[in-house]
Amino acid sequence: MKKSIRMTREVVLAIIVAVFILFLSLTTNFNTVSGIYSFMLDISPTIVAAIALSLVIFTGNIDISAGTIMGFVAYTAGKLAEAGIPFVIFLPAGMLVGVALAGLNGYITVKFKVPSIVVTLAMNMVHIGFYATFLPMSGWIENLGENFTWFGRGRFLNIIPYGFVLAFFVSLLFMFIMKYTKFGKALYAVGGSIQSAMYSGIDPDRTVIKAFLMEGLLLGIAAVMKATTRSDVMPSLFIGRELFFISAALVGGVSIFGGVGKIFGTVMGALLVYLLSISMIYLGFQDYYQFALQGIIILAAVYITVTDFSLLKKSYCKETDEFPGKKGEEA
Amino acid sequence: MSMTGNKISIKLTHQGVLVTLLFGLIITFGLIEPVFFRPSVLLDVMAIMGDVGVMALGMTYIITTSGVDLSVGYNQQLSAVVFGMVYLSTRNLALAIAAALLCGTVLGFFNGLIVAKTKIPPLVTTLATMYLFRGISMILAGSMTYSGFPQGFRLFFTYRLFGVLPIQFIYFTAVFLILDSLYSYGALGRNLKGMGFNEESVHFSGVKIQKIKIGIYTLLGLLCGFAALMYLGRLSVAKTSIGDWINFQVITAVLLGGTSINGGVGSIRGTFIAILIIGVLKKGYTLMSLSGNIFNFTLGTILILSLIVFAVTEERKNVVSSKIRKTNIPTRV
Amino acid sequence: MEKQPILDICGIDKRFPGVLALKDVSLQLLPGEVHAICGENGAGKSTLMKIIAGVYVADTGSILLDGQELHLENPNDAYKQGLSIIFQESSLFPDLTVLENLFMGHEEQKSLFPVLPFIRMNDIPKMRKRAKEIFIRLEMNVDLDEKISALGVATKQMVEIAKALTFDSKVLILDEPTAALTNKEVHTLFETIRRLKQEGVSILYISHRLEEIFQIADRVSVLRDGAYVATADVSDVSKPKLISWMVGRFLENLYPKEDVEIGETVFEVKELWQRGLLHGISFSLGKGEILGIAGLAGAGRTELALAVCGLSKADKGELLLNGKKLVIHQYRDALDKGIAYISEDRQRYGLVLPMTLKENITHKVLNRICNVFGIIDRRKENSITDSYMSQLSIKAPDGSFVVSKLSGGNQQKVSVAKSLAAEPQILILDEPTRGVDVGAKSELHRIISNLAKAGKSIIIISSDLPEILGMSDRVMVMKNGCKAGELLRAELTQERILEMAL
Repeated sequence: MKKSIRMTREVVLAIIVAVFILFLSLTTNFNTVSGIYSFMLDISPTIVAAIALSLVIFTGNIDISAGTIMGFVAYTAGKLAEAGIPFVIFLPAGMLVGVALAGLNGYITVKFKVPSIVVTLAMNMVHIGFYATFLPMSGWIENLGENFTWFGRGRFLNIIPYGFVLAFFVSLLFMFIMKYTKFGKALYAVGGSIQSAMYSGIDPDRTVIKAFLMEGLLLGIAAVMKATTRSDVMPSLFIGRELFFISAALVGGVSIFGGVGKIFGTVMGALLVYLLSISMIYLGFQDYYQFALQGIIILAAVYITVTDFSLLKKSYCKETDEFPGKKGEEA
Repeated sequence: MSMTGNKISIKLTHQGVLVTLLFGLIITFGLIEPVFFRPSVLLDVMAIMGDVGVMALGMTYIITTSGVDLSVGYNQQLSAVVFGMVYLSTRNLALAIAAALLCGTVLGFFNGLIVAKTKIPPLVTTLATMYLFRGISMILAGSMTYSGFPQGFRLFFTYRLFGVLPIQFIYFTAVFLILDSLYSYGALGRNLKGMGFNEESVHFSGVKIQKIKIGIYTLLGLLCGFAALMYLGRLSVAKTSIGDWINFQVITAVLLGGTSINGGVGSIRGTFIAILIIGVLKKGYTLMSLSGNIFNFTLGTILILSLIVFAVTEERKNVVSSKIRKTNIPTRV
Repeated sequence: MEKQPILDICGIDKRFPGVLALKDVSLQLLPGEVHAICGENGAGKSTLMKIIAGVYVADTGSILLDGQELHLENPNDAYKQGLSIIFQESSLFPDLTVLENLFMGHEEQKSLFPVLPFIRMNDIPKMRKRAKEIFIRLEMNVDLDEKISALGVATKQMVEIAKALTFDSKVLILDEPTAALTNKEVHTLFETIRRLKQEGVSILYISHRLEEIFQIADRVSVLRDGAYVATADVSDVSKPKLISWMVGRFLENLYPKEDVEIGETVFEVKELWQRGLLHGISFSLGKGEILGIAGLAGAGRTELALAVCGLSKADKGELLLNGKKLVIHQYRDALDKGIAYISEDRQRYGLVLPMTLKENITHKVLNRICNVFGIIDRRKENSITDSYMSQLSIKAPDGSFVVSKLSGGNQQKVSVAKSLAAEPQILILDEPTRGVDVGAKSELHRIISNLAKAGKSIIIISSDLPEILGMSDRVMVMKNGCKAGELLRAELTQERILEMAL
């Protein structure tokens, strides 16, 4: 059997990303040490969170409250760090918070059979309301010390942030999980066809909840990663960030209908979306152009997926040679 | 009545619960803050929910067909910005009003077109257009705020009939009456509910589904444009935070009012009462000087609870199981 | 019987709301045989299979595998017991690769680190090796990393069979496996079946294509109307014999079709083509005439009806109504011109089940009972509902009763009433009596007969041959999207129709 590199969507994306980086490094200060460092620093949490969202989208669901869940995680981590608790404890604690909140989303979605987008939209609101109402100073924590920021600000060889290494390993781990584990295959199955999944002995409800739990775990990591780059933390830091994660996943080839996509694609998607947005800043566009851009990206990415579907279907139609007439003559 | 005797009683109960809730809230707030019992305050409740209210009425149509429009708030915001820009550059009020209404309508039409003509689910479509509209309005307005609209324009939306009845409430009621009669007694309502239950079957009855879809999204767009005017008439400042969380308030009102997120079952009257309930909450929170975030937090909780309550009661009524669901199209997204 | 059956099905009853789908069905599958089950559409073949597969649970009766009683909760239990079923509808995931599909839900596992045996990963080399072995057994060359969506229909079928074989099944059940295959592909499939049989796999082969049964099966059992009829060695039966078992011998006067003088031609279809589905169909219809359209499932009968009504788009062809050319872009146009279609699937296309009788019956004529503001005139609505409820004797308390609570027969009447309310000149009924009980069936036939008497032109599409024979003035037989022939009432026999259709 031939082993040639197929021009899959992921490969094309990787090439685009490479060209993009090349272009940026030629025209801007992107290829300086600080440029590369800040690029890696910014992109790491986005990659991890985009992988988190991908897991949920694989099953045909979505989580609009991802950003605000990260806010809770960051608050938890900050609060613990303020009390002098070390990274090895506040990281798992944060992940646990992520798991609990995302798990609640998954539970309501599955148990009451309501669309996850509506559940998580409402949760988004509840979370934000909660910050402002119940957290002292709306969850703002200032002057966090070295025991908090060492992870976010630390770097290997003076250039590679710790977070980037972590993101790298998380990406590898989930590429592995999606390809080599029952759990990974079950996610694709449930997103592909619930009925066929059941015929294959997979419990769709449990699989969806597991996907949400895993999402929460990763959101926890991503939030701690991002928060520890700062000495002050507030939950509202993450409001609206889910938009980037979702468009990263969709650009990376994850189908909004579920069942299709690769983690490598998501990582490439995250890079591309990030590069697009920083180039806009380099080009002098204001920050709020991002919203319009992301909206268009989501529409375009989904539209491509949808059209691909119908094109595929057309090619299935059996061509019969005895068909004489041309199209267009009115019946 | 279009429903069975059995169903009427259930629906009446639902609306009964809503009305009880409404009065319960008024009394609770009144006990905490006696000023709440003043007629002027109660009339104010009617005034402040007009813009969200008309959008919720339009949204009820869409949710009944098992669609949704997440972009409403930013449609309203963009229409308001367009109004502000056109008025401040031309000083022509009629032109500005027309531009705002047109803007809302076109955006709604855009949503409807995508929903009807492509296979992208409404939730995803309008999630994307929500960000798009928000972005465009920010690009147009930047951090600017538009104000200084003429007194005549404001009067259109702050006038009190007989010196008491807020005109915003009258607009809201008028839209309610029109939409409700088409919904409860008209062919349109029949088709909307049918589409929510089983779109294919409605198609096989010779109904032009795509046209209806485009139509209702466009109608909601127009109502968003009108809501923008109502908002500006009341608060007089066009800025780029008008649309924040509006979609969410609108959807909460619709679901609280007894319309099922899965489509088929709905009630414009329920939405009407739900809007009043939300108005009372808003006013009550303001009087108790609680922040907007607590208000939103409460609404979020209400939304989740109404989703759950509906899921549970729907299961009991067995509406879901008797309904033929479209296979392969993920209903959860 | 000398040999112990590997699969012993005893006395299965299955009732669905409104219908008894299976009545006391018993069958024995012997080791290493290919046992065909045949019967007309709706004879209960697929229901029986789904019970064996664990999709449905039988009301009474038992299934023994190798002498052990089976208790199946879901299809996966059946697989684990060594019973593999290939469903009519594909259970493959189109976006996943062949290899992923083969082992979905039961991947081969190995531990990732020998020291931590509980961390397990999929053993892809092992699965690949097994998959290759299976495809060698099937003498197939399939790229294991290809996505299912890129495969042809026949290859997909093979992948389904391969998936079944990954369970080391002793029993393989195939439900109409050739429905979508070309002759050459069928040939390959049969080769595979023979090979599996030699390896000792027992095969239950469900089909209504008689030629296939004679080619591949050792024994054949016939079901009719959900009941077991007979079993025989294939070498001992002839095709006419099987047909007579399938259709039954009797043709009682269940159907009070009255003779109606057929008027001039009102409706004509000329050379209707639809890519891959319809190949130049022409027919005509007289006033007061009932035209039956017979043929196997998949022969293009429903497709023809949909194309005529504008519910799907024809590529070429001409429709004439009363001698005038008809232009139909969508179903609304057909309805307005007086052509109505009653779908075979009343639950999915015919009715909105959770809505009321009134809402359903008036759905096609809402434009006629509305005022200029689009408000429905309640009086007109009620009078239309009441008149059709009494005309078709629909048994329901009143017009505001929810349709989903009605029996199958009454639901079908509502579906008919819905189209009649549009006052069509031409009525196309697709499987008008599927899934309704005998009483309702003859009532529906009386209604149809009366409509013809009243001057309506009617097309009945049916797989129920006695119904076609009893009701039609003329029968058009379709096969593979083509018109296979036409028979007048005088020359109608079940055998002749089946000969044309098969």
